[in-house]
Amino acid sequence: MEFFGSLQSMGIEAGTGLLFALLLLLLVTGIPLAFVTLLVTLIFALGWFGPNVVPLITSRVYSFVSSFVFVSVPMFVLMAAILDRSGIARDLFEAMRLIGGRIRGGVAVQTIFVAVVLAAMSGIIGGEVVLLGLIALPQMLRQGYDRRLAIGVVCAGGSLGTMVPPSIVLIIYGLTANVSIGELFTAAFVPGFMLALLYVGYILARAYLTPGAVPDPVREPVPAAEKLRLLKGLFLPILVVIMVLGSIYGGIASVTEASAVGVAGVMLSTILRGEFSWSLLRGAAMQTLQTVGMIVWIGIGASALVGVFNLMGGIKFVSELITGISDTPIIIILFMMAILFVLGMFLDWVGIALLTMPIFVPIVIDLGYDPVWFGVLFAMNMQVSFLSPPFGPAAFYLKSVTPPDISLGEIFRSLLPFIMLQILAVAMLILFPGIAMY
Amino acid sequence: ADYEFKFQSSDPAGNPNFELQKTWAADVAEKSEGRIAIDLLPVESIVAHNETQDAIATGILDGHITDLSYFAGKDPAFGLMGNPVGAWSDPQQMLDFVDNGGGAELLNEIENPYGLQFIGATTPGLEAFVSAKPLEGVADLQGLKMRAPEGLVQSVFAAAGASPVNLPGSEVFTSLDKKVIDAADYSVFSTNQAQGLNDVAQHPVYPGFHSLPLVEISMNKTKWDDLPEDLQAVLTQSVKDFAQRQIAALAEADEKAVAEAKEGGEITVHDWSADERAKFRTIAQGEWEKVAAQSPNAQKVYDTLTAYLTEKGLVSQ
Amino acid sequence: MTDEEEVVREEHTAIPEAGAFGRLVDRVAILPAMGIVAAMAILIQEVVLRYVFAAPTIWAHETTVFLCAIAFIFGGLLCASRDRHIRVVLVYDYLPAGLRRVFDIVISAVCALSSAAFAWAAWLMVQRAAWRPDGSFHLETSGSAWNPAYPGLLKILLMVALGLLAIQFLILAINYAKGRR
Ligand code: NA
Ligand code: NA
Repeated sequence: MEFFGSLQSMGIEAGTGLLFALLLLLLVTGIPLAFVTLLVTLIFALGWFGPNVVPLITSRVYSFVSSFVFVSVPMFVLMAAILDRSGIARDLFEAMRLIGGRIRGGVAVQTIFVAVVLAAMSGIIGGEVVLLGLIALPQMLRQGYDRRLAIGVVCAGGSLGTMVPPSIVLIIYGLTANVSIGELFTAAFVPGFMLALLYVGYILARAYLTPGAVPDPVREPVPAAEKLRLLKGLFLPILVVIMVLGSIYGGIASVTEASAVGVAGVMLSTILRGEFSWSLLRGAAMQTLQTVGMIVWIGIGASALVGVFNLMGGIKFVSELITGISDTPIIIILFMMAILFVLGMFLDWVGIALLTMPIFVPIVIDLGYDPVWFGVLFAMNMQVSFLSPPFGPAAFYLKSVTPPDISLGEIFRSLLPFIMLQILAVAMLILFPGIAMY
Repeated sequence: ADYEFKFQSSDPAGNPNFELQKTWAADVAEKSEGRIAIDLLPVESIVAHNETQDAIATGILDGHITDLSYFAGKDPAFGLMGNPVGAWSDPQQMLDFVDNGGGAELLNEIENPYGLQFIGATTPGLEAFVSAKPLEGVADLQGLKMRAPEGLVQSVFAAAGASPVNLPGSEVFTSLDKKVIDAADYSVFSTNQAQGLNDVAQHPVYPGFHSLPLVEISMNKTKWDDLPEDLQAVLTQSVKDFAQRQIAALAEADEKAVAEAKEGGEITVHDWSADERAKFRTIAQGEWEKVAAQSPNAQKVYDTLTAYLTEKGLVSQ
Repeated sequence: MTDEEEVVREEHTAIPEAGAFGRLVDRVAILPAMGIVAAMAILIQEVVLRYVFAAPTIWAHETTVFLCAIAFIFGGLLCASRDRHIRVVLVYDYLPAGLRRVFDIVISAVCALSSAAFAWAAWLMVQRAAWRPDGSFHLETSGSAWNPAYPGLLKILLMVALGLLAIQFLILAINYAKGRR
């Protein structure tokens, strides 16, 4: 077989180029995403080395699916699937309309608030986008929000999980860079909040400046009895939030365990509302299996690709690329941002983190920058990667639970303003490191 | 270079251990006058930390620098050899056992069939114990909710009366911070300090009493056998030198971190008495026997280990 | 006061082209799906045992990870049977129906081929996880104090799932070629 090992002669530069070209080409042909990255990985495993390297891929698949950090993803999706099948979400958003309906865009702003609360309950993304996609999106559309605005709010808000502490991105970074995870969390708090505020600012700007973006405020007075009925809709969701956050911050459960507490809370709520049934649980569990299958298989390919690329000599290639670019530290940092941005177009965050952290961290420390600050900057860059096309995980997660009439293209178009806001946040972190290092 | 090898470390890129391991790679190049070039890769860059053995055997990787106990699932012997909890109170004892007590020969007897050649051992040193509660001895371990990931460490602490919780490394910080657990088996003092663990659990026990991991440097057996003898000797010697360099460097880092921690005033460093350490070791030895019963190789490790310890007067039996 | 129109929810099933095999996958999937619910219950139990009774188990976390891993693996198979893997259809959507069918056939065939390659590679992995070098049978265990054979089992399940995935894509390719709907 002359193909086996033949690619190696092209060298790592051309090889990297071919790898990305192939990714892009296969991405747009309609091959299931999970298999795009897996296929490119297979081609390079065989073409660069030979059949004996293919077990590297299955080894990484095995390690990926059996890693503890993803356990909270099915928990959040299960929570979402149960909520979706009960009347809880609808009652919650009706109550939110009662509270925030008097300001333009009030419900969307509250959705960002809900997203921040969810982000404080989880360290990873996937589950929250699905949750908001199942719950907030239909309700916002029903209340008359502009489709694109609503989609953007859900994807951008749902991605905050790794920016607002706790965050698995920051934990992995802390382990890689040997810096305090506590300091990383503290440093990420204000930038995460700032990002959420940028989203709120954008929503309000759209609400007041672009007619039709949000529904008209509720003007007619609501009778007291009706108010009471609606406010009851808030009671159970708030109770669940208290259970989850209480179990984390009260030292009762670890972050992952707390996501299971959330599921139990939501299940209990449906039982209290008399909505619980075997078929509800069955349907929710099946939907969860399908959704996590989709979510996890997207990451599987990226993780495998990184393994093969590193074996090809990727680490050395990328670090020489970076150190060779300039002697000015800030140029190197900006170049790293550019690399993260480009990788964000092709890879899942796990792949990006696995690939770049080991390369960037020693360089950043050498340059004399604070590794804690860079960790927050890294997490902010991952926010961009969740949304940026053509490989935007948050968009994919949302797509997996929305009706077919919302196309991936429309989702990505909806995300553009939010990506701009994220890039603005990245720029602010670089210009004013004090945002993280107060 | 005549020989180019890819080695994967079990440490992340920014970890001081990894920085030290790079000096080993450089030293090999120097000692072999450029005939061997080692490309050292950080943890997870090719395969996961507990998958390197397979990757080396199948020729994907050429070698690894890793904690032997990661392979306890393949054979309990690796767990007992990698971290015989309570056996060592000084890194030099462990290295002497490997070099002169039959450890290296035994390891090759066990690893060769797996397709690996053991070159030599090193260690980051005696790990420090992370705790939020003041611990002065074995009695204080009673009911202590603590993280312990590995088999033997877990059983020994359970036997000592603690409640081991099997948490992954990524959840240790948050769980300590929120008091889900009170204590953790994690790493050496300087690493614990750098990652902020001592800030959230302010009663570390240093020097530790529970864990001194054997970090092995080993490589694909066929590729080892293909090396000329002089280069094999270079590799063996380079690992010996590296072990001394690493132990010295990390001991220094530990002392510096301990001094800083004490100066900060918030952290209380506890040191167990010789009596308490001996009590813990006795409990641990009971658990070694249980591991020994799990496989013929583990029994061999147990026999060789106890013979060495008895000969050196480190255990009274 | 609120309009009573329900939010439309699609319940997905295996697509016709997935054949009887796909319907079977769809039916059997309830097992790994309930595994997620079981994982949730185990985590809750662990929290209660640890917090209330100060008696954590040694098996809860490993079992949770094991159940979730099975769900992740078989979720991927289920998505293949249901055609619910995300696809970027930028080019695909603009193709005429005939060419689109060719794409469907080729894509399914390519996925079948690569899944088969991975199943073979997983077999090599299983050989090292299910047998000792001396040839005796020994499933790789986790190495923890409880020491379950989850790693060995999971590697076998992964190999099986990849094999099933190859079969599913092959059936899809054949049915797309037949033009059956
Ligand atoms: Na979070
Ligand atoms: Na992206």
